[in-house]
Amino acid sequence: MTAKVLSGNYAQSYAALLARAQVVSAYPITPQTSIVEKIADFVASGELHAQYVKVESEHSALQVVISAAALGARTYTATSSQGLLLMHELLHWASGMRAPIVMGVINRAVAPPWNIGADHTDTMSQRDTGWIQFYAESNQEVLDTVLQAYRLAEHPDVRLPAMVTEDAFYLSHTVEPVDVPDPAVVDRFLPPREPHAVLVPGEATRLGSFTGPEHYVDFRHQIGEAMARVPKVLETVETEFERAVGRSHGGALPTYRIDDADAVLITMGTSTTTARSVVDELRASGRRVGLAKLRLFRPFPDEELRRLARGVDRIGVVDRSYTFGPMGPAATEVSAALYTARHRPEVTSFLAGIGGRDVTPGEVRRMFETLLSGAPATVHWEDLEDEGVTRIHG
Amino acid sequence: MIEIRFHGRGGQGAVVASELLAQAAFLDGKQPQSFPFFGVERRGAPVTAYCRVDDRPVGLRTSITAPDAVVVLDPGLLATEPVADGLKPNGILLVNSPRPPQALIAPAGVRRASVDATRIALAHNLGTPMLPIVNTAVLGALARATGVVSLEGLTRAVGQFVPARPEENRLAARDGYLGVTVLPGDASAPAPPPRARPPPLVLPEGPIASVSSETLHTAAWRTFTPVIHLDRCTKCNFCWKFCPDDAIEFDAKGYPQIRLAYCKGCGICAAECPPKTIEMVAEA
Amino acid sequence: MAKLTIPAQELMYGGHAACPGCGPALAMRLLLKGLGPRTLVSIPACCWTVIATPYPTTALKVAVLDNAIESTGASISGLRAAADALGLDKVNIVGFAGDGGTADIGLQALSGMLERRTDAIYVMYDNEAYMNTGIQRSGATPWGAWTTTTPVAGDLRGKPEPKKDVMGIVLAHRPAYAATLNPAFPEDFNQKVEKARDIVGPRFFHIFTPCPPGWKFDSAQTIALGRLATDTGVFPLYEVVEGRLRITRKTGQLKPVAEYLSAQGRFRHLTPDDVTLIQAQVRSDWERLQKREREDLSLAH
Repeated sequence: MTAKVLSGNYAQSYAALLARAQVVSAYPITPQTSIVEKIADFVASGELHAQYVKVESEHSALQVVISAAALGARTYTATSSQGLLLMHELLHWASGMRAPIVMGVINRAVAPPWNIGADHTDTMSQRDTGWIQFYAESNQEVLDTVLQAYRLAEHPDVRLPAMVTEDAFYLSHTVEPVDVPDPAVVDRFLPPREPHAVLVPGEATRLGSFTGPEHYVDFRHQIGEAMARVPKVLETVETEFERAVGRSHGGALPTYRIDDADAVLITMGTSTTTARSVVDELRASGRRVGLAKLRLFRPFPDEELRRLARGVDRIGVVDRSYTFGPMGPAATEVSAALYTARHRPEVTSFLAGIGGRDVTPGEVRRMFETLLSGAPATVHWEDLEDEGVTRIHG
Repeated sequence: MIEIRFHGRGGQGAVVASELLAQAAFLDGKQPQSFPFFGVERRGAPVTAYCRVDDRPVGLRTSITAPDAVVVLDPGLLATEPVADGLKPNGILLVNSPRPPQALIAPAGVRRASVDATRIALAHNLGTPMLPIVNTAVLGALARATGVVSLEGLTRAVGQFVPARPEENRLAARDGYLGVTVLPGDASAPAPPPRARPPPLVLPEGPIASVSSETLHTAAWRTFTPVIHLDRCTKCNFCWKFCPDDAIEFDAKGYPQIRLAYCKGCGICAAECPPKTIEMVAEA
Repeated sequence: MAKLTIPAQELMYGGHAACPGCGPALAMRLLLKGLGPRTLVSIPACCWTVIATPYPTTALKVAVLDNAIESTGASISGLRAAADALGLDKVNIVGFAGDGGTADIGLQALSGMLERRTDAIYVMYDNEAYMNTGIQRSGATPWGAWTTTTPVAGDLRGKPEPKKDVMGIVLAHRPAYAATLNPAFPEDFNQKVEKARDIVGPRFFHIFTPCPPGWKFDSAQTIALGRLATDTGVFPLYEVVEGRLRITRKTGQLKPVAEYLSAQGRFRHLTPDDVTLIQAQVRSDWERLQKREREDLSLAH
């Protein structure tokens, strides 16, 4: 194990190196670019024996790894924002092909107006494409989750692509200490990909195909079943990762001080770190508040959420995006998952950190105050509250 | 409500026939609905279309599984497609065929009907022997056999919606109307069992297809069959070389022979054969 | 039996779902004869998506990957990268795309594949319109041709724009090998495939594939029409190796282009003046091609 001070982007690059990715496709976009630059260095220096394919668009970047995965290669690529949106059609291709691609995504706002700040609109609008989605909180979690994502994606019970996301600049360009595990340790945790359902030269096979209404549903259902197995497989992957590397990231929905909590805030990505500090501060002054991190958004960990919600009356969900639904997208999912729960807490939607705004301790404090005050559950544009504007939607 | 299912082959106009029937019914003051089944739309490949006619707006948006009438534009389909599936007792099976309806095999109770629409179409210069345009003649026969539309409505629809050769098509509809033979059925016959849904696929590890397409036969696409007169064959291989369907192989003596399960009857082999030893013969 | 002039091996099954007399079906059959079984074919949305038959069947005896309509160039780059990474020996990587998927929506990925020097063969099988969707014009549809989106009515007389010069675009990328192929000339076709097979680098085939329903001609005439296309100079046969062009079928005197046009319903509406215009264009293109061949030949010495 070597401790290095790394950016979140380099944490992705190191993870691709440790995973011994065999085919990497590269197309630049701010704030992702330094990931593929670093991988280019790894390949140039001989540290990584990979085919490094420089493509002419993100669309082609994803097609290259889909086709490479179809032959059995372990693949990596990375993108952000507009690039991810350009990939949209091919995201469906990847899951439909059951291609265990791992992709780094830097969460960045979507134009217009152009904005390169942190925002989850890009990945939220890809939530229905059959990809596993992880949201990371720290550069360490980025590195570890990429490695875990390969195990998960390639697992025979899963075989689906996975994206590991990190907030633009708050992680992508933030340097902080990261433990980089020894390659030998990672090799034990993550052996070479065992190809399932791949094309073999000389065999009369077709991957992709077309089918009429009589059987298309079978393909969709099979992906659904694989998705449903992800939380269970993730548990075993975490256990094995902890055994090999000595760290765990708490599975799909790690929680913090939620026992006896009157109000729990659910966060994604980097706002979690700030929120955790606020929980400590409020707990020190006797307020009963807790925190849960939506680390896995697809598949949505609804069982874990219902377990968490059993003893909680008020839940707030912090969304770093607005997707024109009744609430923030994560809040909508949380509400849907809790609707059938026997104990159904109220869900308040907080939109915060949109387009690169800070999610400050003051904002988080105010969110907890809102929850604890018993105010009716609704949607709060937290970013605008400092300017004295409260927008209530719906 | 009357439900009619059309069976034809790509290029024959089954979909057009179904739509034209809908237009005719509308001119009769009825509420029609017509739609095709979107499958492999290839010239010669089996095609299905559906038409419903009611006095009120049709309240269903599903394919037709228990039709009152089935119209078969090409008798070759009888051998390969389950055209009569779900046909109601006392329903009508109408086939474009030169044979009398007694020759048709149909489920119990079904009224059998036939019309030589190919002869009528060719007599009115509609299409070619390779691809006769039979839909107006067949619709005329259907109008008579079922009463689902009037001949007058059909004639008006032909005039308004058939851009090519409207007069010939009008005459073909009339001749179809006059030329159809219908046998009585039996309304008390038991209803056919509902068609079974396809079983769910047990998918292999991922969406990999690996079954040879030679399990699919395309013989039914054919209206003409190549017959090789081996006495004049020079074994030049041209027929083999140019076959787009991989439907020509060699026998032990090196003579070409047609793999009839896969030949679609395109006629390239006959056209390219230097000594002209291949003859395209109309399917029975 | 006379000696076969093209390989005996069949790597395409019968039972496929091509229309009778399908040019693209014959093109695939001839292509795979020359390439052999260790071939991976990436196929975008096009006629061949359907020709290859529905799951769980497949119409080819080689491995086939489906890809999105616009990404064939990228798909074969990915297949080559994986083949190299996995140490797969002697594998032909082929993209097999229609003219719409190449000249229009797939042009970017094709350019990318050529520019990054992917060791693969990109095939554009050219039936000169979007045929799988039912005959809509593409960038490769020739001037004057009827399609469902370039109707003939009143002043409208088919496609008002000329055919896109995809070969010219490809040659601007300096591919390792590029050639025009026509299934009506199977020996020339096969020679080019076998030659390209053994060349390393980006290779491009422009294959002429008549479409009976789309061009409105009798399915028995697919080969005859293909022969006419080359013999009239509409689709000359040539190859470009390392930048040097060589015409592979010399036609002393071009046949009148009217013979080719009048054999197809899609050109039925053309006036004698239209035909004269097309004839002049074909002649000047042919002369330019011959001039280029002479220049390349003199450079070689």
